[in-house]
Amino acid sequence: MDESKQPVLQMTGISKSFGGLRALIDVSMDLFPNEILAIAGENGAGKSTLIKVLTGIYRADKGEIRVHGKKLNISTRRDSINAGIAAVYQNLGLVDTLTAPANVFLGLEPVKRILGIPFIDNSTMRSRAVAVLRDRVGIELPDIDAPTRNFSGGQRQAVAIARAVIGADLKVLVMDEPLAALGPEETRNTFNLIRAVRQRGTAIILISHNLDHVFQLADRVLVMRGGKHAGVAEVARSSKRDVLGMIVGSDVDVDAMA
Amino acid sequence: MTITQTAPLVADRDVERKVRLPWYKRYINLIGPLVMIIALSVTMAIAQPRFFELANLMIILQDAAIFMVLGMAMTIVITGKGIDLSIGAVAALSAVIMALLIKDFGLGLYSAMAAAVAVGFVCGVTNGLVITQLRVPDLLATLAMDQVYRGIALVLAAGTVLARFPEPLPFLGRGRIMDVFPTAAVVGMIALGIGYVILNYTWLGRYAIAIGGNREAAVLTGININRQKIFHYALMGVCAALAGILLTGRLNAIQATTAQGFALHTIAAVVVGGTLLFGGRGTMFGTLVGVLLLSMVTNALVMLRFQFFWQLIASGVIIIASIGFYSYLQQDGSGDSRSDE
Ligand SMILES: Nc1ncnc2c1ncn2[C@@H]1O[C@H](COP(=O)(O)OP(=O)(O)O)[C@@H](O)[C@H]1O
Ligand SMILES: [Mg+2]
Repeated sequence: MDESKQPVLQMTGISKSFGGLRALIDVSMDLFPNEILAIAGENGAGKSTLIKVLTGIYRADKGEIRVHGKKLNISTRRDSINAGIAAVYQNLGLVDTLTAPANVFLGLEPVKRILGIPFIDNSTMRSRAVAVLRDRVGIELPDIDAPTRNFSGGQRQAVAIARAVIGADLKVLVMDEPLAALGPEETRNTFNLIRAVRQRGTAIILISHNLDHVFQLADRVLVMRGGKHAGVAEVARSSKRDVLGMIVGSDVDVDAMA
Repeated sequence: MTITQTAPLVADRDVERKVRLPWYKRYINLIGPLVMIIALSVTMAIAQPRFFELANLMIILQDAAIFMVLGMAMTIVITGKGIDLSIGAVAALSAVIMALLIKDFGLGLYSAMAAAVAVGFVCGVTNGLVITQLRVPDLLATLAMDQVYRGIALVLAAGTVLARFPEPLPFLGRGRIMDVFPTAAVVGMIALGIGYVILNYTWLGRYAIAIGGNREAAVLTGININRQKIFHYALMGVCAALAGILLTGRLNAIQATTAQGFALHTIAAVVVGGTLLFGGRGTMFGTLVGVLLLSMVTNALVMLRFQFFWQLIASGVIIIASIGFYSYLQQDGSGDSRSDE
């Protein structure tokens, strides 16, 4: 990673509360071009909330987001897609009674107007989804018209990824716990997928609390604890033990845990 | 399994699960009601062949027509994880207002019908607002609003029966096209056709499936759930008003206490047809089959001179059997079909 480069993405001083619960407290982060940045932290540390702020699901109470130095006002998923930021959410966020194309385009359905009334163009949607799945995710589903609940974990994940990468100019791909529910073979495939997406010039934010995965994939790891930024480590120059220490906090004896 | 990897990306050889559904499994949700229709037909062929006379089949269609209109909107409401128990009262209230406007205020039929539709729309939007803004659960909100609307209808009509309306209202409600086919059934089938388009080709239907299928995913997509739910109930209100108009034409009379039990009958038809009671999948064709099945059962029981309470028992048993059947299919995982087909 080249520190002299300008970051693709900067989040500065982000705070977010849910009622009295302070989920994010003054969190800042930078993401550099071609980088895989992991975000680690215990359950409830605020990782998912941070990426939901980034992708327009929640509005931050405070703080700003910049892409290539330009300040953005992200308040809907469409805003974040237009800015080149897409996400695969934890639990994938698929509607399993809908087909793969319907999921890929959910909320962004192409329409044909007849007498001014917008009708969803299912056939365009279908052929574009097949193309995205084949060319950008590298999978051909055996039955494109089947509801996604008939698919395996890896296939469903492919649909979720296709949904994230349909935006034309993808700069940042965020993946929230993409490896949590996968078998070993699927995990290896997803590793390859993440590296391939990076090779195409997209920076990646990978949320994971599995340090083995983090150390295999990421360039840097941002640690969150209790809604706060708890430190950043360069993977090449740190040990898992150091990072684990940041995750659990200095008052816990890491050696005793290991 | 025909996964071909064109790039070294996602694939899964872990799970050799057959995903292409055999053709009959795509329609498995309709097998239940179709089996019931066949069983009923066989029974009637033996017990009372007059059941199949054209005149009787047309009576069945005539009875079913109002529930086609109601079932269309209810399919969308239920697909979006809602339920509306107020539709009988909305139908009665809209019809009573239409009748009063004609009888007491001398309004023309078409203006009065438009007013009835507007009343239904307002009732539906009110339901939607109570559910989304006051956060009253759908079931309780519409149960309570049922009382409110029924009460208003009773106040307005003051216990009278309003009867004898100008054409074409009676023609709409009980007329026959070419002296054979019930006009109301044509209206009902058009409604279901429109419902099919809404469910499969519009944002309204697609988002109803998303909200019912995975609410969190719908939120993550940026779908405004409250607004969609208000749309669902508004559509339901409009269809309830149309049902009220058809009912008035059919009886050529209306009073504030009519259309009781419409909600349960409609919900039963929709669920029997294969729409998931807890949302995420709906089928207009299934609703048509469900509506016809319930009308056939009622008709058969009358023909066989069963008393009214037997009809109640029969529809109760059919509802429980269907829901049990679909729950079984859900566990089995084989009951998946397209959102509609
Ligand atoms: N929509 C919400 N409403 C209320 N509290 C929330 C919401 N989303 C997250 N939280 C809370 O914010 C905190 C951080 O959650 P989250 O970002 O999901 O953590 P992580 O992804 O790191 O496990 C948790 O305490 C969680 O309960
Ligand atoms: Mg999380």
